[in-house]
Amino acid sequence: MQVSEVTKIRRKVLAEVSRMALEGDLVENIADILSTVVSEDGPRYRCCVHKERAVLKDRINMALSQPIGTPLTEAAGRALAGERADLPAVNLLPEACDRCPIDKFLVTDACRNCLAHNCIASCPKKAIMVVQNRAYIDKTACIECGMCKRSCAYGAIIEISRPCERACDLKAIVAGSDRRAVIDYDKCVQCGACKVACPFGAISERSDIVQLIQRIKAGHSVYALLAPAFIGQFGPKVRPEQIVGAIGRLGFHSVREVALGADAVALAEAGEFARAVPAEQPYLTTSCCPAFVAMVEKHLPDAGERVSTTVSPMVAAAKTVKEEDPSATVVFIGPCVAKKAEARRYPDLIDFVLTFEELAAMFVGAGLNVAEIEAGAHISVASRDGIGFARAGGVTQAVCDTVAKLAPGAELKPQRAEGLADCLDMLSKMQRGSLDANFLEAMACTGGCVGGPGTMADPRLTAKLLELYAAAAQVAAAPDNPAAKAENDLHRRKNSAG
Amino acid sequence: MSTLRIEVCLGTSCHLMGAQDIIDAIENLPPDKRSKIDLRGVTCLKTCRKGPNARVNGIILSEITPERILTVIEDNLA
Ligand code: SF4
Ligand code: SF4
Ligand code: FES
Repeated sequence: MQVSEVTKIRRKVLAEVSRMALEGDLVENIADILSTVVSEDGPRYRCCVHKERAVLKDRINMALSQPIGTPLTEAAGRALAGERADLPAVNLLPEACDRCPIDKFLVTDACRNCLAHNCIASCPKKAIMVVQNRAYIDKTACIECGMCKRSCAYGAIIEISRPCERACDLKAIVAGSDRRAVIDYDKCVQCGACKVACPFGAISERSDIVQLIQRIKAGHSVYALLAPAFIGQFGPKVRPEQIVGAIGRLGFHSVREVALGADAVALAEAGEFARAVPAEQPYLTTSCCPAFVAMVEKHLPDAGERVSTTVSPMVAAAKTVKEEDPSATVVFIGPCVAKKAEARRYPDLIDFVLTFEELAAMFVGAGLNVAEIEAGAHISVASRDGIGFARAGGVTQAVCDTVAKLAPGAELKPQRAEGLADCLDMLSKMQRGSLDANFLEAMACTGGCVGGPGTMADPRLTAKLLELYAAAAQVAAAPDNPAAKAENDLHRRKNSAG
Repeated sequence: MSTLRIEVCLGTSCHLMGAQDIIDAIENLPPDKRSKIDLRGVTCLKTCRKGPNARVNGIILSEITPERILTVIEDNLA
């Protein structure tokens, strides 16, 4: 997981925007970013400095949660006033899209102009002919059906797809009439996979850091809900207590563990399983991954009733905070971009969602170096299983452990899916009854949340550090955790669309 | 035989700009080269805005990339 040049630019923009918002000179200085981040003599990623700055303007608008094309000082003013445009979590920056080639099928040098000419024979549109001793595809006639590729005995015809298209398991990215990529929001579930994949950084999520900084500055009680994947995000040497300490130094009122919400979810979900499967339904799926939940709604609505009605750990944790302090501003901090979309469904509970990357940018903007923070006390009150939610397999383990304790008679046959293609595939199989399973753990990101698009550390490393952190927990499973039990009953999912 | 001392900054600013990639590049060197490097992490080299930063033989190198650190290592071990 190397930090690419486009990632660096995005992070620099976020850090600069945070710094200016914290120092109170955002409107005056916002335009400076155009010259500090893309300097005249800096390395070039695009044709010229003007093009780079045009892209940068889009990026700054995203960082301010304003529509693309808003003049920068106006955008800064609106962000400072707390305004957030009604944008999807994941957006395409049109200036940045390089319109990667979309000639899907390409005849390579491996073509031997054989006698069989299976390609010509199989093409339903007669789009293939022989030109200069080699098959040639007439692009004006080609309908990209792929018959030629499948029929060539030499494998001489290859399929090329754009990185963004390839990354999107739900085929939500298409080429627009000007060949730029377009996100079809009827299909998109805001998982953020395309953002990670585009080598031009043309896809980005909106960011509310300025609005959040204003809220903190205004003296509100701002609570951080920290997702368990935070372990190791600032490097393997940085201790969890240092991260918690640094969040406090940013001006947050307190830091709560999403893992405790996960404990409550494990209890609720295990209870739901024992009650409903197999009496009322053949199987149950998890509901903690918002990209998965949205995928079911948009792509396999028939399976909707099989999704657990339990809220996500984020929402569970938020409910607890709001009950304790109704005036609280609640900020989820995690690895996930889809949570930004999920949060909009719960406007009364979640005020902001930050990725770990955005949190780090805020630290840098505030001049905070986590590595040098004196570690305060941070004692986890979550169970081992609750912390384990952050990695693939974690929810299964938590629900299995809980079912074993609370409903020992119930028979749980788990199946796991990672990545949306896998989720869709497994779910269809379960719908058809062709899998011997009655519980599906579905995660949109490979590796689970630790592999999310908002992370800064290698998912394998995070998973290992998480394991160690979880092993140190006071209790193993949710039913043993008195802190979790107290919250359990509040966590039914709201059935709103969005 | 003398070793080459490389201090890589692990501060938040440098981390955000990919300090871990620099460390990985060094850690993944073939054993004969890796053994000649004394790799250490430091918490800040006070050049935060130009990260990732590393100090090689006492000299701070800014905005380094994995490729560049490997070149620097080649040059210094030659
Ligand atoms: S990968 Fe997709 S979004 Fe990125 S430049 Fe290519 S076509 Fe545009
Ligand atoms: S579903 Fe995911 S990969 Fe596809 S367009 Fe939406 S955010 Fe991108
Ligand atoms: S954080 Fe690396 S130089 Fe300060």
